[in-house]
Amino acid sequence: MTEQTKNDTGGPGPSTVLDPELKRARGTDLVSTVFRFQSVFGLVVVFIAAIVFSPAKNGELLFLDSSNLFNVVRATSETGILAVGMTLVILIGGIDLSVGSVLGLASVGAAVLLVNDDLGLVPAVLVVLAIGLAFGLLQGVAIAKFGIQAFIVTLAGMQIARGLARIWSGGQGITITYGEGAHQAPLTFSLLGERTFNGLVPIPALIFIVVAALAVILLRVSAFSRHIYAIGGNEKAARLSGVPVTRVKILVFGICGLLAALAGIVHAGQLNFGGPNDGAMYELDAIAAVVIGGTSLTGGRGSVVGTVAGALLVGVLRNILALNNIDSNIQLLIIGLVIVLAAGLQRLRPASAG
Amino acid sequence: MDSEAAGGAALVEMAGISKAYGGVRAVSGVDFTVREGEVHALLGENGAGKSTLMKVLSGEVGGYDGEIRVSGEPVHFTRPVDAQRAGIAMIHQELDLVPALSVAENVFLGKELKTRYGVVDRGRMLSETGELLDRAGVDLDPRRPIEQLRTGEQQLVTIAKALSLDARILIMDEPTSALSSHEVEQLFTVIAELRRGGAGIVYISHRMDEIGQVADRATVLRNGSVVAEFDARAMTAAQASEAMVGRPVHLMFRTEAEPDSAHLSDEPDGDDLLRIEDLVVRHKRPRPGRRDPAGISLRVRRGEIVGLAGLLGAGRTELLETLFGVGAGKPTGGRILLDGEEVAPSGPRQAIKLGIAFVPEDRRIAGLSLEHSVLANTVLSIVERIARLGAVPRAKERALATETTERLGVKLASLASPVGSLSGGNQQKVVLGRNLLTEPSLLLLDEPTRGVDVGAKAEIYRLLGETASRGVGVLLASSEPAELIGVCDRVIVLQDGRSVQEIDTASVSEADLLAASMGEGAVSEELGERS
Repeated sequence: MTEQTKNDTGGPGPSTVLDPELKRARGTDLVSTVFRFQSVFGLVVVFIAAIVFSPAKNGELLFLDSSNLFNVVRATSETGILAVGMTLVILIGGIDLSVGSVLGLASVGAAVLLVNDDLGLVPAVLVVLAIGLAFGLLQGVAIAKFGIQAFIVTLAGMQIARGLARIWSGGQGITITYGEGAHQAPLTFSLLGERTFNGLVPIPALIFIVVAALAVILLRVSAFSRHIYAIGGNEKAARLSGVPVTRVKILVFGICGLLAALAGIVHAGQLNFGGPNDGAMYELDAIAAVVIGGTSLTGGRGSVVGTVAGALLVGVLRNILALNNIDSNIQLLIIGLVIVLAAGLQRLRPASAG
Repeated sequence: MDSEAAGGAALVEMAGISKAYGGVRAVSGVDFTVREGEVHALLGENGAGKSTLMKVLSGEVGGYDGEIRVSGEPVHFTRPVDAQRAGIAMIHQELDLVPALSVAENVFLGKELKTRYGVVDRGRMLSETGELLDRAGVDLDPRRPIEQLRTGEQQLVTIAKALSLDARILIMDEPTSALSSHEVEQLFTVIAELRRGGAGIVYISHRMDEIGQVADRATVLRNGSVVAEFDARAMTAAQASEAMVGRPVHLMFRTEAEPDSAHLSDEPDGDDLLRIEDLVVRHKRPRPGRRDPAGISLRVRRGEIVGLAGLLGAGRTELLETLFGVGAGKPTGGRILLDGEEVAPSGPRQAIKLGIAFVPEDRRIAGLSLEHSVLANTVLSIVERIARLGAVPRAKERALATETTERLGVKLASLASPVGSLSGGNQQKVVLGRNLLTEPSLLLLDEPTRGVDVGAKAEIYRLLGETASRGVGVLLASSEPAELIGVCDRVIVLQDGRSVQEIDTASVSEADLLAASMGEGAVSEELGERS
């Protein structure tokens, strides 16, 4: 019998030894915070770069001009609103490819209802929002109840919404004119092209900011958001924990459709036009903003703050490239590289960073 | 030493191995040898450094200090392939199989057999896999996709896969954690055959009884260092546990204060919390490898812990799933009475509302969202309940999570740490804590101590005893006879989806319980083998 005991002298008992795993976990907290808000840091970096590379006029930096800055937000507002909804969808491990087409459908809907049908402003807006909500909910039912993959369902939804937009508009874009007469939209609708707060803040930017703020609050405090993250983290565990998985999923796709319709209304109001072919590829811009924002495409990880910063990052980048008269094709290249870079940074993120 | 001669030449010599992860020493100065024809058990609590040491040996982690010799030759592995070429294979605790591929395709993954024309030779792969499965003592169709197999069957496939490597040194990390007693015996037969062929085996397990049965030597790690070496056959569970945790451990399952079962069984039947009468679940499409209830009757009283025994595939998991409303089909016969009321749980939400809680079999797959915080995982089942106007009160959820993790003795850095950073035992406590927060009257558990170290195991048993003593009825499915006898008041034996026997744990031995699980026919043979 070779029984021997080594190293078992004195020493601190196991209860007083700090578990090495615990120490490691504490160290990663800071790192994970940086990674969680990487797009905010990225936005700061791009912002500073924009100041450095900004052309000047009369000793003033064009980029920092307040109307330019708000133009950036306005230009970002439509994809930004889409990206907020997309964030929720991606958080549950889904994807929604239909939002660009739904935006087009909503812009057509707003134009048709206001101009052709002479519906009042409030009913027209409500009907369009309801269409977007219903469209999203139906997609959610197909995904959550019948278990068809989100990619497939929303790919189909993308075609269907586009087809509906073209049928509804008769294949032609509808120009919105304002006034009191027949086939004229109420003047209030043209506010979407205006600015408020002394002509400084564009209304679409304001809507984007409000939507984003509501989403941030929703994701911070609500039990609903806990369910969203839980489903994205481990759907089976969420279901066994009593999370109403099917209901939450349907609702999330509904919200995404609703926000796509809202973006479509904003789109119609900004351009005074209902375009059946508008919004094509917007879904990809929205997904890009979400990815740059650090939300994991596998779900369960990410934030609306990140997405907003991601959307603004692309907006600032586009703006400074445009201010410097860089060719729009080159712009595409640069934005493509930024997306890859952001996704690459995600790979470096410690596995434990939540 | 005399064992030197008996054990044969050294296959692997690890000397002064140290490995640190970012400043944290996982292993320091460890000597470890494996001889030809030897089974060397490696013991230690989770986080003691067993896995790290074996990852160094199998080439999965580089950057270590110290020396490794294989058959006397110094080696330095930086990739798993290096180790495999040197004849070292590792069977992982996590089952690294591709779910959609068949058993045969998984066994030959990355080394597919080809015909002369470079096409995958399916026929030969199937027949060779069949032989490997036979050697591993498994009755499985090599064409079945992995995803259709139960965890235990998958584990047997990984063992067959390791056999296909013809390794000289085989590292088995918890190879029996999902196996039924009968399959464990088969595995031991395979191990005996391997060692006769001169292979050396490193055997990592938390099950003391197995180690005495299968291993020659045992080395105990604690906090990254070797603290004891034993002759495995002469080692007692108490000695090993004490070396692992550094203090004496009492595997006292029930607390003194709990009401004894004799007293309970005198009470009238009206006090049954759960009563199942002749439950039958029939599913339109029978699922391979699963056994739905085909006639189960049992009852659980308040404050009682009832065990579910039976072989893998006897229907233990499926019964619990049916009770929690996540089974494959609705009950087609019999009744489930909870508190005297007939219930038919249609899903987890409804089951939780009825006061039923469920700790599932595989906490990583079904129990936890590993990347999320301990806090989020702990309160997930009750966030809706504590929310005011849809908003979760932060202070309240923190307080509840703190109270729960403290009461359950979860070791953690902070509530914000990802639950995946905790050890297996602590993860399981989080699952248990989440379930207890729903204030259940009936607690269902499926293999709650699988892959959990001995210290955490004792704590989980204590918590179960405590929970029962507060009037909660507990139904515990386990494949460890010692656990069933130690923890439960009564044990119901399931066979082929039927309840066949009820056993009072006060008057039964582990061998008897095992024999009962195997069915009458196998009793004599099984007992003969063991003695």
